[in-house]
Amino acid sequence: MIRALLLLLSDDAPVFRRYVLMAVSYGLLSGVTIAAAVPVLGGLLRGDGEGAGRWLVILLMGVVACWLLRRRVEIAGIGVGLAILGGARLRIGDHVARLPVGWFTAENTARLGHIVTHGMMEIAQLPAHVVTPLVSGAITPIVMVSALFALETSMGLIALVTLPLMVGVFVLSAWLGRAADTAYQLSAAETSQRAVEFAQAQSVLRAFNGEGGGVRFLEGAIDSQHRSGRRLIWLSTLSVVLNVWILQAAFAALVIAASSRLSNDVSVPEIVAVVAAMLLAVCFVDPLLDVAAFGAAVRGARNQLAEVDRVLTEDPLSEPVNPERPRDASVELRDVTFGYRRGEPAVVSGASFRVEPGSMLALIGASGSGKTTLMRLIARFFDADAGKVMIGGVDIRDISSRDLSAQISQIFQDSWLFQGSIADNIRIGRPDATDDDVRAAAQLAGVDEIADRLPDGFDTIVGEGGARLSGGERQRVAIARGLIKDSPILLVDEATAALDAENQEAIARTLSRLRGKRTVLVIAHQLSTVRMADAIVVMENGRVAEQGSPRELEARDGLYRHFLQQRQAAKGWRIGA
Amino acid sequence: MREDKVISGAERRSPVRRLLHPVRTRLAVAVILATVGQALVLVPLAGIALIAKLALVDGAGDASGDIPDVVAISLACLVAGMALVTTGELLAHLADNWLTVRLRKALVDRLSKVPLGWFSTHASGAVRQAIQDDITTLHELTAHYYTTYGRCIGAIAISVVYLLAIDWRLAVLALLPFPLFHLIFGAAKKSITEERLKDFIAGQSRISNAVVEFISGIPVVKAFGTAGRAHEGYRDAVDGFQKAFLRFTGPLVVPLANANAIITPVTVLAVTLAFGSLFVHLGWIAAVDVLPFALVAPGISGPMMLLGFLGHAVANATGAAERVQDLLDTPLLEQPAPGTSVRPEGTEIRFEGVRYAYDGPNDVVCDIDFTLEPGTVTAIVGPSGAGKSTIARLLLRFFDPDRGRITLGGVDLRQIASTDLYQRIGFVLQDVRLIHASLSDNIALGRPSASRQAVEAAARLANIHDRIMALPRGYDTVVGEDARLSGGEEQRIAIARAILLDPPVLVLDEATAAADAESEAAVQSALSGFASGRTLLVIAHRLDTITHADRIIVMERGRVVEVGKHADLLALNGCYARLWRAGGYGDHLPETAICEVTP
Repeated sequence: MIRALLLLLSDDAPVFRRYVLMAVSYGLLSGVTIAAAVPVLGGLLRGDGEGAGRWLVILLMGVVACWLLRRRVEIAGIGVGLAILGGARLRIGDHVARLPVGWFTAENTARLGHIVTHGMMEIAQLPAHVVTPLVSGAITPIVMVSALFALETSMGLIALVTLPLMVGVFVLSAWLGRAADTAYQLSAAETSQRAVEFAQAQSVLRAFNGEGGGVRFLEGAIDSQHRSGRRLIWLSTLSVVLNVWILQAAFAALVIAASSRLSNDVSVPEIVAVVAAMLLAVCFVDPLLDVAAFGAAVRGARNQLAEVDRVLTEDPLSEPVNPERPRDASVELRDVTFGYRRGEPAVVSGASFRVEPGSMLALIGASGSGKTTLMRLIARFFDADAGKVMIGGVDIRDISSRDLSAQISQIFQDSWLFQGSIADNIRIGRPDATDDDVRAAAQLAGVDEIADRLPDGFDTIVGEGGARLSGGERQRVAIARGLIKDSPILLVDEATAALDAENQEAIARTLSRLRGKRTVLVIAHQLSTVRMADAIVVMENGRVAEQGSPRELEARDGLYRHFLQQRQAAKGWRIGA
Repeated sequence: MREDKVISGAERRSPVRRLLHPVRTRLAVAVILATVGQALVLVPLAGIALIAKLALVDGAGDASGDIPDVVAISLACLVAGMALVTTGELLAHLADNWLTVRLRKALVDRLSKVPLGWFSTHASGAVRQAIQDDITTLHELTAHYYTTYGRCIGAIAISVVYLLAIDWRLAVLALLPFPLFHLIFGAAKKSITEERLKDFIAGQSRISNAVVEFISGIPVVKAFGTAGRAHEGYRDAVDGFQKAFLRFTGPLVVPLANANAIITPVTVLAVTLAFGSLFVHLGWIAAVDVLPFALVAPGISGPMMLLGFLGHAVANATGAAERVQDLLDTPLLEQPAPGTSVRPEGTEIRFEGVRYAYDGPNDVVCDIDFTLEPGTVTAIVGPSGAGKSTIARLLLRFFDPDRGRITLGGVDLRQIASTDLYQRIGFVLQDVRLIHASLSDNIALGRPSASRQAVEAAARLANIHDRIMALPRGYDTVVGEDARLSGGEEQRIAIARAILLDPPVLVLDEATAAADAESEAAVQSALSGFASGRTLLVIAHRLDTITHADRIIVMERGRVVEVGKHADLLALNGCYARLWRAGGYGDHLPETAICEVTP
């Protein structure tokens, strides 16, 4: 937990260390000051007014010192909070910006958003609300132990033995709590997932809710969360009972030890010492009870920090030490193998082919055959597990990310639009593009039709993620963005980019315009696209099954021929025929 | 009607009170237990004071008989007090857990009955937030706040009463730090101007937006090598928030530190001893009577501070309670009152003068009139944004028309119970949704009791049985866990689902088809087999698949502009003909895809 915090604070770690040091000194100082109350009380009880007065002055001076130090501790705590809200947030930002594109799944994106907003806010409040009281609450009793030793050895011993016992019980109960807590978090996450599914799939769930089947998954998750919640309650009650009762047992032992000293005839000074020791016993137990009560807060913070830790320890995509520049616009794969997860079968295995500069390659194959993954590997969403992807004769791992992205333009399904106008979003492809360039790309992609319909034309603000445009419209803006970039290699996923007839047409226009001018790799869906290609790669189960020119492959009785027949069958299909 | 009245009567209460109403008795008992328990826990302090008095005043030897009794009573109180506190807290937690499951299910139940359109205007994250996060936030309130409050009050009350009883003058002076704390605390709070608070909240929402934009945009930004832009926005938002945070908390730091310093146990102890010494010096009080003050007064600090923090929990929980209550009050899709629903006779569907606007004046369908004869195929075509999908959604009653009506078998959809409706109208929509469950559960979604044979038969008809059998776990394969399915395969599962439900009317969003050649052929043959003999409404995105439809409805900007068969529409040489040419299906060259319509 501390490790994650220091990792998060990185350069700001000294700020945190200084703050903790101050909190510790504050705990010590207030302990010593409380101990100074003993002679005051002793003086009063013995009737020694002068002695009491002298110590009272010391006590009051200690209080003032505590007050001044406390102020500095709190200011330092705010400093730590600010470092988390500022520096640490930026550090997470810088870190994730270097992660491979493939990392940004819907789940990871959602989790990251939560960490940066709520998680950081919660962690930032740790110093003020948790660390200060926890540290000083843990330090003060240690001073009390030494004071008790000075007054009553037996009570000092009891207090001393309590400390390790208490730590043991705290650890035990934290362990008890954690097991149940993990189970509970898991079932809570399941409910969250089901709730999102419930919302997203509502139309389907409702239409198919004939026998209550639609809500049973979410309700099942809620019930199991309820059950694990009950278990957690009993276990955490047990752990609270353990924590509190060990301390109160120590307190009871201290009181019994003290009162037993009063059973025989003892002198007044001795009685006074015992009474003072009982006051110290109270001052020993009270802060520890507070510490015990912080268990839940610490657990919550630990969960947040664990999430942060998971993000920060994710490996970024490596940058080459001595970057090379691609020599031309060719793309070549050599024995590329890749799987999304360890232990799962590879999605692409041993794929090899070469695309000459300026030529067009069509990738075809059944869904799940690895076409999309191949495209992603070329764009370096991930690094291959084995083999290499080369652009312009250079392994893409030896090309700087800046040079690589300058080489490749992508038209994939991912069409996130930024807040801003349509024109702004197209310009992301090339920030220095002129208005004419923007219009030309827009026209080619069919965005001009969208702009014509909207009140502010190209200056229409699209909203977060392009929410004010339809899916097909967003896609066309993304196509324009890919077009204006003007890079030598173009990657197109026709199947997912062509949502409707207009997009289909925009893609077709794009391809026929750029054919011969750029190196084009396209996951082809339309027969017309396939026929346009100079070369075809047919994928099957992650392997390159056939490759060659359309004419060569058509002549062969293989998968491509089968594909053509299927196409014809699909063409021939008619609803209501 | 009666139910409405109950709600409006209850509405006057705060959302928190309304939500916690069912557990109020349990909570009250828990609070009483915690309050009394905490008071008992403090009895040993008085016991210590008494022991000291006995020993010092009567002499240890004389008092030695009484002291063990005092110790025994004190410890008994301690044990009893802790038992009561623990029981109270356990009770509150169990009440919370009981309430939580009820609230979650109430939310699910409510949301299952709101118009489906509600889900397109509310993010799925908001639903998760209400069902999971907000109700978890309520836990702070139900399970912790009230009992903690009770404990604080119990501790403070018994301490104050005890000290007042011993010597009211010293009690007033020794407790002086506490009102002082509230004074400073209150003054500091007042210094938070409305403006700064707004600033802070605005900064917080700005950062949320910047984070979404930054994270979601990273893949795009990386692809285009223009990392600077989004990053700048994020940096600005972080910096801005930091400044707003500093402006917000900066002026509070010192006053709050002062306020906290005043009530730390050390300070209270010192103040007590100072005044105590003075009182002893003046002869107003016996020295031994100062001891109870030194023992008890510093202990008030903890509960006092805690009371201050508790405010946060209440504020958070109130916000959460409001959101949950809002959702529980979401207007329901009008359902026929029990017993008044009408069962439709036959499957003829009529749109009569239907108008619907869902997002301002730009997104409207209006003057929609048409009839779907049983057993016929009707296709709706048109450029994107023409309102094709809206027609399908209205028919599926995702929302109700603003004007006009839609009838099934002569009965207004609003008078048909939703189970009756969805038994008659099935659909396969553009976005296929598979549930995180086994494939057989997914196919049997609408009929969980269906036999394995029935499920397999549906899968066979949908051309997906062989693919499923090829998976290592077959029909028990959990979607997304054991295997990834391609888009086309998911569509065939969705079709199998509809086949198993066996509705006489089928609504089909045909953009489904664009996955790849192999699955497209499979999907289409599955569909055409299933569709024959049913009333079919196809939302077509490509025109070449619907040329044989009995009727084609061409839509443009929310209106029906042409109706007819393929050949007639081509001959008309209007919007449809232009779309046809633009799609490049015929021999003509593509021109433009948009029809020019003069409204």
